[in-house]
Formats: sequence, structure tokens, C-alpha cells
Amino acid sequence: MTSPPTQRTNPLHLLAAFASGGILTLAIFVNGEAGRFGGAMFSSWLAHGTGTVVAILFLAVVWRGQRAAAAEATGKIGKAPLWAYAGGLCGAVTVMLTSTSVNSPLALAGTLALGLAGQVVLSLAADFWGLLGLPKRKLDLRDAGAVILIAAGSLLIILFGLGAA
Amino acid sequence: MIIPILAAFAAGLLVILSRQVNGRLSMSTTPLISSFWNHFVGFAFLTVVGLVIGGLIPANIAEMPWWIYTGGAIGVVFVAAGSWLITRIGAVNSTLLVIAGQMVFGVIFDLLRGAPVTIWAAALGVVLILAGMWLTQRKR
Repeated sequence: MTSPPTQRTNPLHLLAAFASGGILTLAIFVNGEAGRFGGAMFSSWLAHGTGTVVAILFLAVVWRGQRAAAAEATGKIGKAPLWAYAGGLCGAVTVMLTSTSVNSPLALAGTLALGLAGQVVLSLAADFWGLLGLPKRKLDLRDAGAVILIAAGSLLIILFGLGAA
Repeated sequence: MIIPILAAFAAGLLVILSRQVNGRLSMSTTPLISSFWNHFVGFAFLTVVGLVIGGLIPANIAEMPWWIYTGGAIGVVFVAAGSWLITRIGAVNSTLLVIAGQMVFGVIFDLLRGAPVTIWAAALGVVLILAGMWLTQRKR
């Protein structure tokens, strides 16, 4: 990246991220129902398979623009390293790990809470060191405050909010 | 008990690792192309694992409601959005806001479908999350 990482975040981007969390809620619900029928592995396999088909359909519709954009991006940044294609492996292994812990005394709440901790830890490290080819970002007290408030609120919902008291 | 604890924590690490890796691929291609590779590679891997372990396709597959098949489509949009976002707002902001959205919409979704919700905890949790979101969007 030639441009320095911008420190001011666009509120629309933040709103989009918030909305994508809502999309995730839907996906988790649908995939959870698929898991009730056929188990976690089947659910993940189905989601990745149908996802592949849908991605191909999307790409077919907008292929001309996508090809041009990809060529431009490769020209600017260079080809992606081979490991950049391994994101799907992470997702597949994630399902195996969570189906282990959901069926332990941790149950769903414990799995979500610990997963949240893992997410926060690695994203802090990723921004701090600029891991895996993405831009480094300065972290300050405001980030710490946001982490604490959002993690506390989420834990409250996961551990006490879902399910009747 | 240590194994499930490590598994749950590692799952959280992998969620971020995958977003970071997909984000890197999207920088050299596009978020949609990156999302395709994410799903294709995951599908190929799970197919192999399923063939080795066996019993991948459940006997009752015909009885499943049609909307079971929409999870993948939603996932494609989510993964593409994640790659697009992480290169713009960074890992911490992506993580926090996706979790915030997941929690707030999760509470609303559970209320709408009549699932049991403990109101005081859910409401207080949403307030804390909104306060945290307000912090992320303030100008530096």
C-alpha cells in the first residue's frame, strides 16, 4: 500500500460493519438449523458448497468489472501469496473447533464468550503489528475503551441476556 | 476441560485469521473473488474430510426446509463485506462492529421470534455496545 493508513474511519464503513454483523446473525441461525438436521460438519459443508455456487453466479453477472478490478489491484499490489487462498481452511477448521466446545460443559454461551476473547486478542495483535500484509494501525485509549465496552456488553448478552433468567 | 476451552478460544482466533487472510487476497483481487476462493477452498477441504470420515450427507436431507440452502449465499455476502471492510477500517474496528451488529441484531431477532430473552441483561448489553460503537466513530 502506498497511501498511509488513514486514522479517521468513515462512519458509513462502521455502519456497514455493524450491518454485516446482522447478516452474520442470520447466517448463523440458518446454518445452526442445518446443523440440527445434519450436524455441524454437514452444515459447514453445505454453506461452503452453496456459497461457492452463489459466488460463481454473482461473479458471472459482474465478471467484466471484476476482472478489470482484479487486474488493476494485482498491478498495484502484486499477486497474492499462496497462503492468501487459505482463508477457507480457517473457516472449515473453525467449525470443527466450535462443534467440539459446544458439546462440552462450555455449551454455546461459553463457546461464544471464549471465541469473542480470541477474536479481540488476534485483531488487536493484527492491527498493532500489521499482520499478514494488511496495514498497521495505531491503537489508542479510545480503542481500548471501545474494546472494553463492546466486549462487556456482548458478554452480558451471551451469558445472561439470551435465555430466560 | 482445557481442550474445549482452547478449542473455543482458537475458533475465535481463526475467525480473525480468516478475515485477515481473505482481506489480503481481496487486496490483490476483489472482495467477491476472495469470497469465492474462501468458499471453494473450504468446500473442497470439507468434502475431503467428509469422504474420509463418512456420513457427510444426512439421510433426512430431503426433509429440510428450502431456506436451509440460503446460508451459503448469506455467507458469500458476509465474507466479501468482511474483506472490503478490514482493508478500510482495520481488524479491531471490523471485529468490534461485526460483534456489535451480531449481538444487537441477535437480541432483536430473538425477541421477534419469541425466543426467551432476559430483558435487563440484553438491554444493558446493547447500551454498553452502542456506547462502545460511539467511541469507535469519534474523530481522532
